[in-house]
Amino acid sequence: MSALKRVQQWATFARIWHVYDAAWQNPFHSAKLLKKYLMGLHKPIYHPLNDCGDHVIVINTGDIALPEDEWKKRAYFHHTGYPGGASWTVAWELHDKDPTMILKKAVYSSMDGNLQRRYTMERLHLFPDGKVPADLMKNVSNQIQQIRPVPKRLDHYSEQERKEFPKLIDYPKDYILR
Amino acid sequence: MSNSHIFLKSGFIRTPSQNGVGRYVCQLQRVVLKFCKNNGSSRGMREFVESELINFAKNNPGVVVYLKPRRHRAPVISAEFLNGDKQWVSCHNYSKQDISKWLNLLRTQSGNTTGFRLRKLQHTDHPSIQGPWTPYTFKDPAENLAEYPNTELSKPKIQLKTATDELLEIFNSVQISDKKGVE
Amino acid sequence: MSLYRQTLALTSRLLLKQALKTRITGETRNIKRWVAPTLNELYTRRLKVGPEPPQPRSTFLEWNYEAEVFAFGKRLGEDFDKNILKQALTHRSFVIAEEEKAKQKGVQLEELASNRSLIKEGDKIVSDFLKEEFKEHPDDVAEALHDYLTSVDMLAHVASHMGLRDIILTSEFPVENSTLADTFKAVVAALKQSQDVARAQIFVKDFLISQLNGKEIFDIWNPEKPLEYLTNLLKQRGINEFEPRLCNQSAANTILANYQVGLYNNKKLLGIGWGESIQIAKETAALDAIQRLHYQK
Repeated sequence: MSALKRVQQWATFARIWHVYDAAWQNPFHSAKLLKKYLMGLHKPIYHPLNDCGDHVIVINTGDIALPEDEWKKRAYFHHTGYPGGASWTVAWELHDKDPTMILKKAVYSSMDGNLQRRYTMERLHLFPDGKVPADLMKNVSNQIQQIRPVPKRLDHYSEQERKEFPKLIDYPKDYILR
Repeated sequence: MSNSHIFLKSGFIRTPSQNGVGRYVCQLQRVVLKFCKNNGSSRGMREFVESELINFAKNNPGVVVYLKPRRHRAPVISAEFLNGDKQWVSCHNYSKQDISKWLNLLRTQSGNTTGFRLRKLQHTDHPSIQGPWTPYTFKDPAENLAEYPNTELSKPKIQLKTATDELLEIFNSVQISDKKGVE
Repeated sequence: MSLYRQTLALTSRLLLKQALKTRITGETRNIKRWVAPTLNELYTRRLKVGPEPPQPRSTFLEWNYEAEVFAFGKRLGEDFDKNILKQALTHRSFVIAEEEKAKQKGVQLEELASNRSLIKEGDKIVSDFLKEEFKEHPDDVAEALHDYLTSVDMLAHVASHMGLRDIILTSEFPVENSTLADTFKAVVAALKQSQDVARAQIFVKDFLISQLNGKEIFDIWNPEKPLEYLTNLLKQRGINEFEPRLCNQSAANTILANYQVGLYNNKKLLGIGWGESIQIAKETAALDAIQRLHYQK
């Protein structure tokens, strides 16, 4: 094999590191997106027998957004294996214990249960906030687009913008704002 | 269903020694027809030798044909190819036409292909004319200088207007028309 | 070996005979308990002796040298002069062996011409034609192509796929690669003598040069220091400097790092390459640039 052909192969199968910002994102929809990158499904060279999955660093998993009342209604089941060892943890409770767990479980269950799944999960790196070790961040060469826009909160608007926002009525002078 | 085919030797279809790039060379180099002179199982072979063998030899001067009569043995075609392969075909009770077809098959083969599973029915050493894909092929060069994580690149492609935006837009348009009315 | 084989055959025959005798004289009509042990014994002895050594095809019963030589020419679609072709297939070692045999038997041997002169002539025809064909290539590339095609292994490969292996007359068995390569050259010379040089050149083109099909230039030729080679090459073309730029990188902090480097001159891309380190990427980019400079206009 000539030197050119060898590096051609190396380049085709190069592992890319992506970063994904999970703030305000639905973890279950995000899981479907991240799974494609982790398994290499987004590549034209994809084949179940070739190892072409990429790495994904997910930041801000603490700020995920669950739809409707999922925080209260979604329960995560665990069984210790002993009699009476079953337990159900509600999503908000699980999120309190480990803010990366909901997204991790979502990605894990979005993939088929085969022998490859646990190795694929090894390529997923989750961080509850924006603090990622610098040596990991050095590998990153692509940003995955979010699936929905991040809403702008009132305190993100400047004082000027808030003042200039059109008003229907003016509060009476003696009205007490709380 | 039998699974014996998974233990077969397997590989891709290939042309020996670039045959056909310069000129085509028949890969069958010699063939030995073995038969009995009076056994019934050799009847078709004897008929073939009597009526069609001369034509075969004339049409294929590059193939050396040997006849090997032997007593009370089944008829056999033994073919030798240019790549050193040998193939042995039992012709027990074959008719003249059968032998003709088998011989034609051997003539057009590139070697002994029995016991060999083709993984695909086509093969190329150069699957892509444009050059193979790499992760950088369709990448926007502008992203080379980006710092990660990057809030701009993180935004979704399709951004719908928010209610706030629309409200502001309506407000602005109304104000302009009001101003016009005043003038 | 053959003595051992003979004794083996003899003993097995005796064994069988003995067994047969007991069968004939035995009064009872029983299950024949001697059959399986005898066959087992024969089988183990056969295994012990090992496989038969390969024999030259010419020692087989079904062998006709005249027909084989005739078919050889027809197979390749060439009209050879029968005598010249036969001479091209006869090696010096075979002639010597024949003379030796004749001396031992005390028989006068008719004169056998060997292919020595033909090999020399063929070598020159092939070599000259290849140089002529690769005239357009840069000198070092042309030389590499010439050496690749005239290497013993390549010529032997071509010769054996023509069917020369069985019909060469030589004392050695199995036929060595160098002998096969020599025979190919002799056959080219024989074709020239039978017809003309042009025909011999077409023959070389169809059988030898066609082996380059599907090969890339760097499969055959590799400059040792691509960057230096490229610098010299560019200087010849009036370009004094080029600048390597890092176009892409991925997984930079892992062992699976990959860098893409482009070589630019005056904002024009000369070549692009990849590699697990920046140095390797630069070198492969240089190789790419060399290929583009030589073969794209």
